[in-house]
Amino acid sequence: MKISSARYLIHQGFKGIWKNRMMSFASFCIMLVSLLMVGMSVLMAINLNRIISGIEDKSEAVVQIKDGLSEAERDELEKQIKSINNVHTVEFYSKEKAWENMVKNMSKQQQDLFRYADDNPLPDTFKITVINIQDMNETTTLIETFENVESTKSPTKLTDVLVSLRRLLVILSGAIVIALIIVCLIIISNTTRASVFTRRKEINIMKYVGAKNSFIRIPFFIEGMIVGILAAGGALLLTKFAYEGVYNIFNDDFTLWTVLGVSNLYPFKDLFTKVAISYVATGALIGAVGTSFSTGKHLKV
Amino acid sequence: MVEFKDVSVTYSSGVDALNRVNLKINDGDFAFVVGPSGAGKSTLIKLILKEIDATSGEVTVNGFNLRKLKRRKVPALRRTIGVVFQDFRLIPTMTVYENVAFVLRVIDAPAKYIRSRVPYVINLVGLSKKAKSYPNELSGGEQQRVALARALVNDPQLIIADEPTGNIDPALSYEIVGLLKGINECGTTILMVTHEHELVRYFGGRIININSGNIAFDEVVGGTNEDQ
Ligand SMILES: Nc1ncnc2c1ncn2[C@@H]1O[C@H](COP(=O)(O)OP(=O)(O)OP(=O)(O)O)[C@@H](O)[C@H]1O
Ligand SMILES: [Mg+2]
Repeated sequence: MKISSARYLIHQGFKGIWKNRMMSFASFCIMLVSLLMVGMSVLMAINLNRIISGIEDKSEAVVQIKDGLSEAERDELEKQIKSINNVHTVEFYSKEKAWENMVKNMSKQQQDLFRYADDNPLPDTFKITVINIQDMNETTTLIETFENVESTKSPTKLTDVLVSLRRLLVILSGAIVIALIIVCLIIISNTTRASVFTRRKEINIMKYVGAKNSFIRIPFFIEGMIVGILAAGGALLLTKFAYEGVYNIFNDDFTLWTVLGVSNLYPFKDLFTKVAISYVATGALIGAVGTSFSTGKHLKV
Repeated sequence: MVEFKDVSVTYSSGVDALNRVNLKINDGDFAFVVGPSGAGKSTLIKLILKEIDATSGEVTVNGFNLRKLKRRKVPALRRTIGVVFQDFRLIPTMTVYENVAFVLRVIDAPAKYIRSRVPYVINLVGLSKKAKSYPNELSGGEQQRVALARALVNDPQLIIADEPTGNIDPALSYEIVGLLKGINECGTTILMVTHEHELVRYFGGRIININSGNIAFDEVVGGTNEDQ
């Protein structure tokens, strides 16, 4: 194709938007809102996921080991636990240290009471974290079969909640994304239908003088893509404001994160490039695909 | 060259529009197609443009066998044909120049060629002064001359015109046919459908009369304009 033709086609695309400005504006708005909603729900999912991951990282299983093991036996056991695929970290937590910590957290009276207890009743333990929290139960069950292990304790309830929360999150954000993409496709394809209708005379003549279908389609394609990209730009701007608003609230006034000991939300500048690229790509793609639905059947002459 | 071999067309409504038509139009011919309303004249033209397909029989146009021609090759066929319609079909938002140039853009012609070819053709139909006007600023005859320029601009082998004078003043009809005759003298084959017997009688030439889907008459007749 010649440069002059390409220029002509792009020009036609822009002209189409202007000729059809009411419909173009409508689909711009719908796409903007949809992209915004999709973007915000995905961002929310990403952040919740990060928080959940933070909590998961913190959730440890405790392996109580038999009393009176030699250091060599203990090292051997540690190695054995470490060799399990799902085990992420293993940390030895001696009974002396446990005692110390316990006493530290006691009230003065309790401390006085325990001061003279010279026999430390606490066991030696390993604190382990796992890679995949869904399989934590299997992992602890396996550890229990080891010779020098007395028992294990894992925060089962919490992990179950986290796992199902995460699943829900994926399903929910997936459903929102799919629903909104369908809405966008329908809207864009209707806009194109209107645009094709206003230019049907021109298209009819183009067909008679031997225009290829691709030549007729390209302006509509461009029209849809431009609307999509503009909507993506608008949505990006609004997402930035909305996200930063939420981010600031959580950052300034919430000490919850530090209480839970989990990481904060991602700052927007870390996500900007990814969000921008996905918005523009989605906008352009929906714009282009949406137009092809309705140009197809109008081209038969 | 256009050739029909045993061509029949039956529309989905059940109407038999053409009935085993055999017809050959050679390169350089000028033929009038006449006949009563509903006879099948427009159907004949739609076949040539491959707007519809023959129910049976073979249609060959400018070397294309239309039965075998694939959908995506139809543009190639149409680029060898110029079409003029009764209702002009100009694009109202484009000037005369743009209406004509548009055809060349569509077939991806070089910009330089467009710039020289379009004014030449507009001059040929005598509308140089109106090149910047819009269709609604022109008379019917002038609009039809723009349509003619548009059909010509691509230098087609064949021009088909379905009642090109149907919507314009009878006096101006002679002017349009005169232009078509001039184009024909330069070697372009012309097929013109018309209801105006006066016009046919005046110009003469090959006359194909279609009646209820059959060719009732196909002969070359001398025109009265040559009698004087
Ligand atoms: N798309 C169609 N579907 C069904 N029947 C059709 C269609 N087009 C034309 N016909 C019928 O086919 C017959 C021939 O029509 P055609 O348009 O070829 O006539 P015509 O000779 O051009 O008439 P006119 O002089 O009025 O333009 C008519 O009976 C018409 O009603
Ligand atoms: Mg007709």
